Amino acid sequence: MGWAKYLEDIVSRRNATSRVQAEIKQVAERRAPSKAAPKKTGDKAMSKLKEFTASSARPLPVLLLADVSGSMSTNGKIDALNDAVQEMLESFGGEDDSRAEIHVSVVTFGKDGAKVHQPLAPAAKVQWTRMTAAGGTPMGAAFDAATGMIEDRAQIPSRAYRPTIILVSDGQPTDEWQVPLKRLLGAERASKAARFAMGIGDDADEAMLSAFLATPEARVYRAHEARQIKQFFRWVTMSVTQRSRSANPDSVIAAEPTDLDDFNF
Amino acid sequence: MTSTSERAEAFVSNRLPDDYFGASVVGPRHRAEGKPNEDSWLGARGAFGTLVVVSDGMGSRREARRGAQLACRAVLDAVRSWHKAGARDLDELLVRIEPVWCSLIAPSTARDCAATCLFALAHAHGQVHVAAIGDGLALLRTRRGLEWIVGPRSGGFANETAALGHSASWTSRSFPRAGGEVVVLATDGVADDLLPERIDGFVQWLMDDFAGMAPSQRWRALQRELRDWPTPHHTDDKTLVVLTQREAVLA
Repeated sequence: MGWAKYLEDIVSRRNATSRVQAEIKQVAERRAPSKAAPKKTGDKAMSKLKEFTASSARPLPVLLLADVSGSMSTNGKIDALNDAVQEMLESFGGEDDSRAEIHVSVVTFGKDGAKVHQPLAPAAKVQWTRMTAAGGTPMGAAFDAATGMIEDRAQIPSRAYRPTIILVSDGQPTDEWQVPLKRLLGAERASKAARFAMGIGDDADEAMLSAFLATPEARVYRAHEARQIKQFFRWVTMSVTQRSRSANPDSVIAAEPTDLDDFNF
Repeated sequence: MTSTSERAEAFVSNRLPDDYFGASVVGPRHRAEGKPNEDSWLGARGAFGTLVVVSDGMGSRREARRGAQLACRAVLDAVRSWHKAGARDLDELLVRIEPVWCSLIAPSTARDCAATCLFALAHAHGQVHVAAIGDGLALLRTRRGLEWIVGPRSGGFANETAALGHSASWTSRSFPRAGGEVVVLATDGVADDLLPERIDGFVQWLMDDFAGMAPSQRWRALQRELRDWPTPHHTDDKTLVVLTQREAVLA
């Protein structure tokens, strides 16, 4: 009968609809189970984020290329250099207002060629070993060592701020230096480093040190006495620590003294 | 013949939109200087599909914040017009973005508003497009594994980046949509501190701990994570956005 059929149809439609709706609800809940019972997260103590992020501040690398040729042993130059580096390391290590962790490496060039005297490490952790002076001035080899270190992403990661290279020498290079310097200045990363140079005494090759700086506005600092070596390093220390505290540690802040003697530390 | 359960599965699949979530927080440096967040992000759904964009205004620029906000809007406007015009290929979309951004920032200059721009579009025509100008993180996780589109930094140092309006070229990839893809976009404040070797775990953590949460709770939880960033001496603004796609099911 038509009436009965009509009712049956309504019932069957209702049942079918309910069944489909129930299935849809089940599938939707399976797809997003946590919407019904959201997981507790964001609790600082429970956060897993630490597992996926670097546990140290971004490094700000400082690389010193130090001349330890025989001539540095005269007039107390090597002692003044050792004292100045030690003082610089103590200042860097004591920095606690820093936005970056200052890392230091020292490459010496002298009797044994260019060698890593102090591997790159946070300044606060460096146990300084004093340098001794003897032999020639293989500066080209030191440039290659610097380029190798800066281009090596395992040593200086890409999250690091731009490095600083400090070159200190009291004489003429005794090896081929022009091609290694060209390699340093042309390398993808090493070319971006901030560079400082100091010539000690009258024999320092100022033209070569200027070529290392490679920017017309940068100047080579001259030291004629041991105390000026310390002054230069104090000034470099101040420039680096200002960078590490600044809003953008990649901006090179260098208060340019016209003469190191004019600069009151 | 398909069962009721299969039909229900298809019904739900075809109606669940792609999901997205994200958060952005001002970094300690800007907070200390009393400056606002110079990152920006946007998520939008429409006939074109689902779009997420992140942008990082270059810190040294006067109108970095505005540049970043308008970069997000420029991508949305460009996607809409590109989709209406037939959405033939991705390059056609990419060439539209910069002119739209330049017109939005006018009368300011591109130099004053310089900003990075990273976006992911789950397009209604069945492709996922990911493109970027500048640094940060853009990666896609599929069933086959992870695909980096931007990051980790291949060269250079922190804070070096390309930006909109500086003749930089786009890095882009398009993928056929297979279902279940996850796209993660982030600015460099997040990207530079992530361990590349743990990135898989990071994406999984986002999916496990955040994807299923209610939106407002999720936003708060993610903000908290970004604000309590664990890397010491971190400085940058931080923005993180995730686009998740529903599984494709045939009816």
